[in-house]
Amino acid sequence: MGDDYNKLVGELLSRRKRNLAMGGEEKVARQHQRGKLTVRERIDLLFDPGTFVELGLLANQQPATSPLAGEVGPASSPARPEGTEPTPADGVVTGHGDIDGRQVWVIAYDFTVMAGSMGAVGEQFKAARVRDLALRYRKPIVWLLDSAGARIQEAAGSKFAGTGWLFADQVVMSGVIPQVAAMLGPCAAGTAYIPGLADFVPMVKGTSSMSLGGARLVKAATGEDVTDHDMGGSQVHCYESGVGDNEVEDDKECLATVRRFLSYLPSSNTEAPPLVETDDPPERLVAGLDKIVPVSPRSVYDVRKVIKAIFDHESWFEVKPSWAKNIVIGFARAAGHSVGVVANQPLQKGGVLDSDAADKAARFIRMCDAFNIALVYLMDVPGFMVGSQVEKEGIIRHGAKMLYATSEATVPKVTVIMRKAYGAGYYVMCGKGYEPDTIVAWPFAEISVMGPEGAVNIIFNKQVEASDNPEATRAQLIETIRAQINPYLAAGWAMIDDVIDPAETRRVIVKGIEQARDKKIDRPWRKHGNIPV
Amino acid sequence: MTEVKAELVGSVWKVKTQPGAQVAEEDELLVLESMKMEIPVTSPRAGTVKEVRVKEGEVVKEGQVLVVLE
Repeated sequence: MGDDYNKLVGELLSRRKRNLAMGGEEKVARQHQRGKLTVRERIDLLFDPGTFVELGLLANQQPATSPLAGEVGPASSPARPEGTEPTPADGVVTGHGDIDGRQVWVIAYDFTVMAGSMGAVGEQFKAARVRDLALRYRKPIVWLLDSAGARIQEAAGSKFAGTGWLFADQVVMSGVIPQVAAMLGPCAAGTAYIPGLADFVPMVKGTSSMSLGGARLVKAATGEDVTDHDMGGSQVHCYESGVGDNEVEDDKECLATVRRFLSYLPSSNTEAPPLVETDDPPERLVAGLDKIVPVSPRSVYDVRKVIKAIFDHESWFEVKPSWAKNIVIGFARAAGHSVGVVANQPLQKGGVLDSDAADKAARFIRMCDAFNIALVYLMDVPGFMVGSQVEKEGIIRHGAKMLYATSEATVPKVTVIMRKAYGAGYYVMCGKGYEPDTIVAWPFAEISVMGPEGAVNIIFNKQVEASDNPEATRAQLIETIRAQINPYLAAGWAMIDDVIDPAETRRVIVKGIEQARDKKIDRPWRKHGNIPV
Repeated sequence: MTEVKAELVGSVWKVKTQPGAQVAEEDELLVLESMKMEIPVTSPRAGTVKEVRVKEGEVVKEGQVLVVLE
């Protein structure tokens, strides 16, 4: 009896061992040669040591019909083609582990098993179960993507009709639990909608790519000759398209970046973000701003230096740093509170807002609002870009997204007008009309519908034309209007709460967030709004 | 050869380099004026300026080549 017992347990152990070996030594070596880690090495780096619990290790692709009954599985599990190898874990490692002591779920594709292709067992049972459980427990979900896409051997033909609900699941999860799509290899075809719908998408330089059609499909469909990397690598998505968030050097940095991102977020929309202890005093006066920010509103500077000076030491984590650089977004901490920072960047395009900048900010603002993260707006904006080029792009509807997002957000909002606050730029950067809990200005702030030069051209055009000395008249009128642009006029009307010494900015932000801790805003019932897209 | 292009529509405020000049990455090549801002255009890499294709006061379009490096 003991012999049978030990034999049966022994079989279990050998089955485990076989599947833990992934696609075998040769495939693992090739994975390493490509500069990539294996799926199990990645999981070790993603989670706190020893916390990973795997579900579905013993999975393998299955024959279409069971020996006893008819079809197996909801959309029918197709046959393993004659002569093919087993697929350890069916090419996707799933389960949960802890990140900084908090539970997180993972769906991690194994490129060493049939190129990480998504098979019926792996997708319809394993990945679907993780999505179900992550949502049931209200815990974040992380995809580690390194997959050739759908396993065509299984999915070709009109059985396709039964697929696709994974994206509908993602939409249901959106704004409920954080979703991260870490790009560690290819991610072709419809699968690219996983990152398309995720809240955060880091991409490894060189090895990762995503595109709606892979290179071979593109060649067949349009005749275009292009590689997966040239079409959808990080150099495209983190710099040009904005689909990727942060480009990282390798797998290790990618997984560290996922951990860092999640450290600012709550496990779900029903919780507050973690409060982190800091030795950086909340009342600390911000030193050195006079050396960073020129008083002349026409001169540029790097706003990221301002952010680093204000918030808790080492807490700044920039998101989408290489796309739409004229606006800076990211997470920081103020006296340990997680905050989402939205800052104009004068160094890039003078900090003017354009279509991409508005899209970038709008999506970030909505993520922060969904996950109860306070927003801090650092304003120095010459307005939205104007002209025929941007009208063709539809800057009105793009700009409207940012206006919508800022207006809709009910988390604590603190607005600091550093220098320029012109036109609709003032609105979307959370001007007075957008319910900031605290709104203050620095002494050289310029709040105005437009600059004095533009105003004179519009308001006093006739006077200037009629003048004997048009240039002198224009200059005089510009000075008249400029005198009306100063923060004390806005403060005198109590339209802003205060004018502050820039050095006081940190204290004011911390107080502003803490003041609004119990904020509650009730809007009229609706199914959902209709955000411009 | 690298073409340095205008990131946005505006006018050329100051030209700060000339053909033959050696530049380092991040060196200021010229300054555009747009949307009330003086917007520096910096060198994307180290190299030698081959051509400066614009003059001070000239209005430039987004994507227009301003300077060519070699």
